[in-house]
Amino acid sequence: MDLKTIKVIIGREYFTRVKKKSFLITTFVVPILFAGLCILPSLLMLNTKEKSQNVGVVDQSGIVMPYYESNEAATYTDITEMGVDIAKEKYTEMGMDVLVVVSPLDTVAKTVSVQAYSKKPIGVDFSESLGTKATSAVEDYRIKSYNIENLDQIMKDVKARVKVTEYTVDDSGKETVSESAIYMVLSMVFGMIIYMFIVMFGATVMSGVIEEKSSRVVEVLISSVKATELMFGKIIGVALVALTQFLLWIVFTLVIVLAVNGIFGMKIFGDAAASQDPTAIMQSMGVSTDQMGMSTIDMSSLTDAAQQASESGEPSELNAIMGTLSNIPWVKLIISFIIYFILGYLLYASLYAAIGSAVENEADTQQLQLPVTIPLMLAFFIVFFAFRNPDSQVVFWGSMIPFTSPIVMLARIPFGVPTWQLIVSIVLLIATFIGCAWVSAKIYKVGILMFGKKSTYKDLWKWLKQ
Amino acid sequence: MGLIQCNDICKSFGEKVALDHVSVDIPKGQIFGLLGPNGAGKTTLIRIINRITIPNGGEVLFDGRPITQEDVEKIGYLPEERGLYRKMEVGDQALYLAQLKGMTRNDAMKELKTWFVKFGIQDWWKKKVEELSKGMAQKVQFITTVVHKPSLMILDEPFSGFDPVNAELIRKEILRLKDEGATIILSTHNMESVEELCDNIALINKSHLVITGGVNDIRHKYGNNNIELIYTGEKSLEPMEGVFSVLSDIDNAGRHTAVVSLENELSSNAVLAAVLSQDLQVNSFKELIPRMNDIFIKLVTEGE
Repeated sequence: MDLKTIKVIIGREYFTRVKKKSFLITTFVVPILFAGLCILPSLLMLNTKEKSQNVGVVDQSGIVMPYYESNEAATYTDITEMGVDIAKEKYTEMGMDVLVVVSPLDTVAKTVSVQAYSKKPIGVDFSESLGTKATSAVEDYRIKSYNIENLDQIMKDVKARVKVTEYTVDDSGKETVSESAIYMVLSMVFGMIIYMFIVMFGATVMSGVIEEKSSRVVEVLISSVKATELMFGKIIGVALVALTQFLLWIVFTLVIVLAVNGIFGMKIFGDAAASQDPTAIMQSMGVSTDQMGMSTIDMSSLTDAAQQASESGEPSELNAIMGTLSNIPWVKLIISFIIYFILGYLLYASLYAAIGSAVENEADTQQLQLPVTIPLMLAFFIVFFAFRNPDSQVVFWGSMIPFTSPIVMLARIPFGVPTWQLIVSIVLLIATFIGCAWVSAKIYKVGILMFGKKSTYKDLWKWLKQ
Repeated sequence: MGLIQCNDICKSFGEKVALDHVSVDIPKGQIFGLLGPNGAGKTTLIRIINRITIPNGGEVLFDGRPITQEDVEKIGYLPEERGLYRKMEVGDQALYLAQLKGMTRNDAMKELKTWFVKFGIQDWWKKKVEELSKGMAQKVQFITTVVHKPSLMILDEPFSGFDPVNAELIRKEILRLKDEGATIILSTHNMESVEELCDNIALINKSHLVITGGVNDIRHKYGNNNIELIYTGEKSLEPMEGVFSVLSDIDNAGRHTAVVSLENELSSNAVLAAVLSQDLQVNSFKELIPRMNDIFIKLVTEGE
């Protein structure tokens, strides 16, 4: 391959894309969205309270109603005297959103059942709180039935809250306070970024190849340069576009977040943190994959960790977060990020290039693309698994098998990965890339000059053998 | 020995044979016409010379040695399926293609500007290709094919898509490039331009080489020994058994235009002698050479 030629090709691939309006737009709009995602949840949490529900309660048991105390989320009205049937007919007319019916107390089983009626389905949270409150009522009733003296005092003395502090111990025996939620967030974020870039820019390479083919410019090109030069020039050119975009995104996102932070910031993050216990958010994050919740953690725990902790009045949280952050193998993480980013992209971009060479328009790619998108999707799902269960078999193999390893390994690294595994995984990835690049180049060479018929994997196999 | 020698080239795509033992010899510094009906295998042969397609058998020699990728990269190639990046500016695109052919950016810029002025298209430099008409894009593509002063050019249907004025412009440029010493392979269906431009041709039909050689030789070879004779006289020319026959004779107030068919090559003198002996005044005597068009049709339909 001739370096000078490749440089010319890379130059064209790079500059035509960077000069495009769409590149400028995505470069500016995405950081705004990103920053918005970071800031918005905090704003939402501060300013929008859920619309208060008007709840009518028919408490036939006589023990639950005192536990339904009105709060911001709901106003409870006791309409027991109306009776179940009339209440059911009338509750909407009375301006109530929900009717809660508590069954008479079963004195043998010492329990009640609760039914909620409403026009619109009630939310999961609300339903849960109805249940929890009724449960407390029943539990308290059961305890009372033991007729213990000084019960109130005893219950007060019994209440406790135990906090778990996590330490990770390295080989030298050094202990560091850690916070598993931070690992989760980091692991998610890095896995996602790699996934996103591979899909986005792999597709860019593919449509670039299709463009050359469908505009027929390829025949002139191929008589001037080698097919492999053309393919790798394109792949590298697009990679540089990806890196440029990535860097610009980081810079702009930081600028926007810092700017917003400078104007309202101190308050936003402080209040957000004060209004909710950070650990609670982090734990809930582990179970729900709610995008908003995730970004809140991301920002509030990482950027504003110090401030948040001090305002929430729990210095131990600060220690844990700082301890976790210092405990993360940053150097390893960043170096691996770059290596996996590049290798993962190269691997998939070469496959996408081969697919692009086999078709004449984007619409025909669907079918051929499938075998390439499936491992990517798989990796994406393993990432969700990884941040909850980083040492499982699935995650381990996912981080070793080259087609999923760029994404899965990155998600694993924050939790700590033995160096030998990293090396094995990278070597496998490089070997696979070389293999795939060779295969793709062969398919590409034949494919780009095939016009007029829809290609299938059978055709690709034939070209490969030529 | 030619600049390009194709020896015994065979190529098949699966079951379909595209070229069957085709050998052509393309002399240096001349224009070589590659003729044949659609689907005959011309484009395949061009692609084999360009090393875009690898033949199943035979070899292509460049200056007497097997052709290499480096040789090919210097060829100026105008494929039949034209194409440029639609979203790219004309100037950037021309620069890019010239650089791929090994020119430096500065040289390419200088040469391209000259060509753009010559073709009167300076205003297009900043335009996107998708804004150009088909003919306009063709002009740009022709420039990008020849800008690096290739010693060998392969032009596949260079005149298609041009109006007569621009076709003439391109024709002149092709002749000028030949005068400057370039070797040009011209694939075309336009037989008039073959007669006007080409020194040698090869006719391919149904993957076989039908004929190859100098244009004049071929035209004479396929001449049917007819002579056009213009004479003045009271009487008409009498045929001579075994020597010549008269196919037609148009009498225009004593000025006759006759087509005479000779029995053999030597009988042309006999015709003259007969005319003189019959006391007729000869105004013009010329061999009727068949048009390339007729030869083309004759050879192609004979093959069917």
